[in-house]
Formats: sequence, C-alpha cells, structure tokens
Amino acid sequence: MTISSAALDTFEQLLNRAIRLDPQGLARLAPMHGRVIKFDLIGVGRCFYLIPDPCGVQIYQHCEGDADCVLRGTPLDLARMRSSRASADQLFSGSVEIIGDSALAQQFAEALFGLDIDWEEQLSRLTGDVLAHEIGHLGRGLFRWGERVRKTAGLNLKEYLQEELRMLPTREEIEPLLADIDHLRDDVERLSARIERLQRHLDSSEPTQ
Amino acid sequence: MTIQNTTHFGYETVPLEEKASRVRAVFDSVANKYDLMNDLMSFGVHRLWKRQTIELAGVRRGQHVLDLAAGTGDLSARFSGLVGPDGLVVFSDINASMLHQGRERMIDEGRVGNIRYVQADAQHLPFPEDYFDCVTIGFGLRNVTDKQLALDAIYRTVKPGGRLLILEFSKPTNKPMEALYDLYSFTLLPKIGKLVVNDEESYRYLAESIRMHPNQETLKQMMEDAGFEGCDYFNLTGGVVAVHRGYKF
Repeated sequence: MTISSAALDTFEQLLNRAIRLDPQGLARLAPMHGRVIKFDLIGVGRCFYLIPDPCGVQIYQHCEGDADCVLRGTPLDLARMRSSRASADQLFSGSVEIIGDSALAQQFAEALFGLDIDWEEQLSRLTGDVLAHEIGHLGRGLFRWGERVRKTAGLNLKEYLQEELRMLPTREEIEPLLADIDHLRDDVERLSARIERLQRHLDSSEPTQ
Repeated sequence: MTIQNTTHFGYETVPLEEKASRVRAVFDSVANKYDLMNDLMSFGVHRLWKRQTIELAGVRRGQHVLDLAAGTGDLSARFSGLVGPDGLVVFSDINASMLHQGRERMIDEGRVGNIRYVQADAQHLPFPEDYFDCVTIGFGLRNVTDKQLALDAIYRTVKPGGRLLILEFSKPTNKPMEALYDLYSFTLLPKIGKLVVNDEESYRYLAESIRMHPNQETLKQMMEDAGFEGCDYFNLTGGVVAVHRGYKF
C-alpha cells in the first residue's frame, strides 16, 4: 500500500464529486458500467484503470486481465479529448493512441471530459442566489474577455508574420496558386482520359492475325 | 480456539454456543455508527486496505462474488460496480442490523439490480457448490466461532479457478509497531467508542478479538487445510492488517 493508493483514492473521490455535479454525468456513464478503461500516461510512466459504475468511476492501479480499451498519451493530450472534434484531432494527429474498443474510448472521453457543471448553482448554496449570479456574471465576463484577448493576439501574430516579416503568404497570394494547381490537376486528368480512349481505339482497329 | 466446548470472546472464555449471540450484541450496538467509527479508528486508512483487497480480488464484469460479513458494504459496493449489470454480488452478513444498514446504503447509492442480500452464518453457507468466482470476508473472520468450519464452507462454494480473499487484522511485523498498536487499541480505542457511540465494551472486544485471531502464517495454513492452493498473504500498514488470498483449482 503506497502513497499512490492514497492519491488515487483522493482523485477518485474528487472525480466522482465532479461527475455528480453534472445532472447528466452519471447517466452518460451508465452504458459503460463494468467496462475497464486503461489510461497509459506517457512521460509519467504510470497507468491506471477506470471502471464506470453507478456512483461514478472506480480507479485502480492494477487490474487483472485485459482492459476493454487503452488510451495512451501524455496527460495533456488525453485532457484535450474534451469534445468529439478535439478527440478526433488528437487521434488523427497520433497524439493519443487507442488500443481495443475505440467506440468505448470515444464515449468515455466525451462523458468524462464533457461534464457540464452549473457552477453558479453550486456557488449559490454557499452565497445565495443574488451573489452567486453576480459572481457568475463577473466570471463569464472575464472568460469572454480572455477569449477576445486570445483571438486578438492570434490575429496580431498572423498579421505580423504575413505583413511585417513576410514569412508566410497571405490568403490573397495563396488562392491563385491553389486555383492554378486545381486547373493543372484537371488538365492532367483530362489528358490521361484522352490517351486511354486513343489507346482503346488503336487496340480495337489493329488487324487480328 | 476451542477447549472443551468453549471458545474465546476477546480475552474472555465463553461457551461455544454463546459466542455468536455475544458477537451479535456487539454489532447490534455499533451498527448505526459503524462507518463513522471505522473512519475514526483507522483515520480513514481502512478505505485503502479495502482498495488493496479489491485489486487483489481481480473481479471482472459478469462474475459472481460473495461478500461475507459484508457489514455496511464497503467491499460489496465496489464489487457491484466491477461485475456490472450481468454479474452478481451476494451481500451476506449474520447480523440483521448490519445487513439492514448495508442494504439501505446500497439502495441510497443506486446500487440495485445486481446485489442480493442473504443473512447467513459463514460456517453454514446456504449457497450452491462451485458457484462463486470470488469470496471475500473483510474484518469478519475473527468474529466467527469456528474459523476452520467457515473456511471449509467457503471452499465448497468457490468455483474451480475462483479465489478467496480474507482481509483481517493481524500481527504487526515489527516490535515498535506492535507496541504502538497495543497502546492505541487498548487505551485509545475504547475511549473513542465511549465518546462516539457510548459503548466502550464493544471496542474493547474489538481490540481483544484482534489479539486472539490467528497470525498470518497460521491463517494461511488454515486456508490450505480447507483445500485452497497458491495461498499467500500481503501485510498492510506494517502487518496491522493482512490480506490472505487462496485459489481453488
């Protein structure tokens, strides 16, 4: 029995508490009861097993037999599987490897990382509805401000790389090139089809001996 | 240990037929504060002991598990999740009060559908032969009057390839730990019992019953005498608790 057992126990309790904060959290895990999902953390050298059950998930260091599916990746890459689009990106880029039942892995990642917790409702139990709403409003404002800053920084960086340093082409410069490439591809395909038709004509008109 | 139709009840020697009723009285008294006392007495460490037991049990989806002396269901709750809707957990205890507490807790947690409740004596199990993939008994064997009889009965119900796990207090593996443990269990424990549940005697019995329980090697031999093979034990918290595991081949 090691410190990691205590840490896993604490992690399990916290995770289950978070799952129960989402009204649909337990329901999303219901179809997976008893299935074994192994998380193999690259870079940390650890793995653990999650088994969904009626109260959330059970988490263990060891599990006899094979897991129903294995998700292998760095902790950050695994955490990025928050939505079906993000998890698809992670899979196609090779950041996260899935071994075994991939549908189960996808379903579990969406259930776990897609928790929708009404924090204002939870806060209102401590502070009352009015104060919780004000804090929630402030929090949402801060989040929107952060999104704006992120987008603006992205646009500024793009402009700097394209217009100032001239390291990257602009959309207006790229599009004619892409159109020319499309035309060339179509012309090559038409030429190839014409050559095949001529070849068939020659083959059919040759006298048989 | 029985001598001339007597056995031990803690440090007291009592007639054989009296032990079960004395044990029943203890658990009737502690049933409604059982979980709280477990947390207080072990500083929450009992959860980690049970977690270790679950990992060693190797229970998988669809299996049949018997949890003897299930108490308030710490092990059964986890097994219920592990076996899934297609498996079965038989939640068994000889004490009706504890069984009632356990059933209430399982229902409150939404653990329904794959749990069955049976009030049974571990010495005379009313289950089919070769039925269970895993049988566990957590902190209950030391309260059984005839432990070898219980092990024999358990062996009959385990299916070939199945296993028995016994989680129980045992003998600390070093002297300093033993001294500290004695001080804690004979001095502090009964006082906690008096303070929290107003029952000093039941927790004095707990400390005494632990001292009367077979040590690690003796219990392992008893399992082998019952027919279990590949028997081994794992000391936890310096031997304060041990998990014994044996297989039926």
